[in-house]
Amino acid sequence: MTYINFIWKFHRSFWIFSTVVISAFQFLILKLITTIDYSGMMSLLLEQLPKNVQAMIGEDFISLHTMEGAAALGLNHPLVLVILSIGAIMIPARHIAGEAETGTLELVLSFPVARIRLLLKLWISAVLFLFFIILFAVSSSVSAIHLFHRLTGALFVKMITIGCNLWLLFVFVMSFALLFSSFGKEGNKVGIRVAGITLIFYLFHYLSSLWDTLAFTKPFNFFTYYQPEDLMTGHRSFLLHFTVLFSLILICLLASLVQFNRRDIPG
Amino acid sequence: MSQPIIISVNHLTKFYGKIPGVQDLNFSVSQGEIFGFLGPNGAGKTTTIRMLLDLLRPSSGQILVFGKEIHDHSLEIRKRSGYLPGNFSAYGNMTGADFLGFAASMRKMSSGLQAGLIDRFHLSKKDLAHRIKHLSHGTLQKLGIIQAFFHQPDLLILDEPTIGLDPLMQEEFYRLLFELQDKGKTIFFSSHNLAEVEKICHRIAIIRDGKLVALETLESLKKKKIRRLKFTLKEPVDQLKLPGARLVRQKDLYYEYLVEGAIKPLLQKLSSLPIDDLTIAEPDLEEVFMTYYRQEIQV
Repeated sequence: MTYINFIWKFHRSFWIFSTVVISAFQFLILKLITTIDYSGMMSLLLEQLPKNVQAMIGEDFISLHTMEGAAALGLNHPLVLVILSIGAIMIPARHIAGEAETGTLELVLSFPVARIRLLLKLWISAVLFLFFIILFAVSSSVSAIHLFHRLTGALFVKMITIGCNLWLLFVFVMSFALLFSSFGKEGNKVGIRVAGITLIFYLFHYLSSLWDTLAFTKPFNFFTYYQPEDLMTGHRSFLLHFTVLFSLILICLLASLVQFNRRDIPG
Repeated sequence: MSQPIIISVNHLTKFYGKIPGVQDLNFSVSQGEIFGFLGPNGAGKTTTIRMLLDLLRPSSGQILVFGKEIHDHSLEIRKRSGYLPGNFSAYGNMTGADFLGFAASMRKMSSGLQAGLIDRFHLSKKDLAHRIKHLSHGTLQKLGIIQAFFHQPDLLILDEPTIGLDPLMQEEFYRLLFELQDKGKTIFFSSHNLAEVEKICHRIAIIRDGKLVALETLESLKKKKIRRLKFTLKEPVDQLKLPGARLVRQKDLYYEYLVEGAIKPLLQKLSSLPIDDLTIAEPDLEEVFMTYYRQEIQV
């Protein structure tokens, strides 16, 4: 059993659960909007509400009533983000800080394997773990669009782009967790801290869309670099998102490698 | 002809923040030697072992293993070494067979090499099919031994290796160590079990509060002129004080002393006492060991 196989076997139950839930959610959300045509009615109703309330309900709710909007929202729904966050944080927290705590990291590093190589294998395993969940989710969305709507080439490319953007976002969250984990001694503490920080960024992302006072935080918030609705409508460039997220991933990964290579085991 | 040095530790110091883990350790281990590393919990045994494996980085000092600096040649050294950690733990969700396969894969070796040891330590197919979290401590320890030994390493670093093994398996384990020693393998054996160290080790280092307090062969350590003196008096004596001797036990007229250094003044004193029965015994390792831990002896 290789190390990558081991990581896969260790997390396969969660992978299957995540893939099934997220893919089914994408399929259902796109199936549902074909059965009820209430977009006009909902738009009229929303227009009657005060502007702040409209903002709180959000464009997401309105965009849900178009097929493109639903496809984009499906991949930006809190349920999806929470499940992917758990997967992205769990793997590095469990296998670096967690194993430093239980003693298995000490055993693994007594084998002839370089620390950098071990960390890269873990990173690649987590990258693939997230990739295949998102691949299934996007495939599910595309299948539903094809079955219940009309799948155009442009829409297909947009869905792939959104999927790539989502993948990059969570590879960043995972790399960030890896960085924390390379300093940490206790898996649970690392997991809770990274989850807390991710949640705070998400809240700021949400609040900055409601209050202009917080708008200055947007460029510093990594959630700003994942806006599927804007990608769907062409309001934002994927290249910017890609550049920012890729740079952040690279920084976190390099910092993790340096720290993991110099740290004491168990710590 | 002297054997080549396999482990050479020079002025090794490790601080955890401001707290010293080990300080200024100096020792070497030759090829084919079974080297005992003794000390109570918290003395710095595991810290030293982890530095030997490049898991912990020294604050200062140098470690050479197979003549090479440990940090720069870590991979090569670990390839030629086997390690059994103290309180050995493995992945609870793996089966025993999966774990041994994993260990073989990490060493890029065939798991077929483990078959002999699996038989030798009486691990059944049923044992290997169970998840590790459901295994007894003894069975888990056997898995630990197999993963450390199966690739026939030139150097074995063992931290409390017999914990959890039943007496029969302990004997089998000692036999395995002697066989490896005959093949020229070197064994670094950390323990606080004095009896087993006395049974298998050639040389012993004793570590206390992170400092090496003794480094000698078993024989020379025992010849430290430490004797156990036991005697019974015919009648009570007021304020019994014996030169160079320390009282370790007394009950009624029975006395037990540990004696260090020259014995002549002691014999002179004893000759003036109303002694009914007297024995001066060779020390066992425990007595020698306790001498180095004098402050822990409770009279």
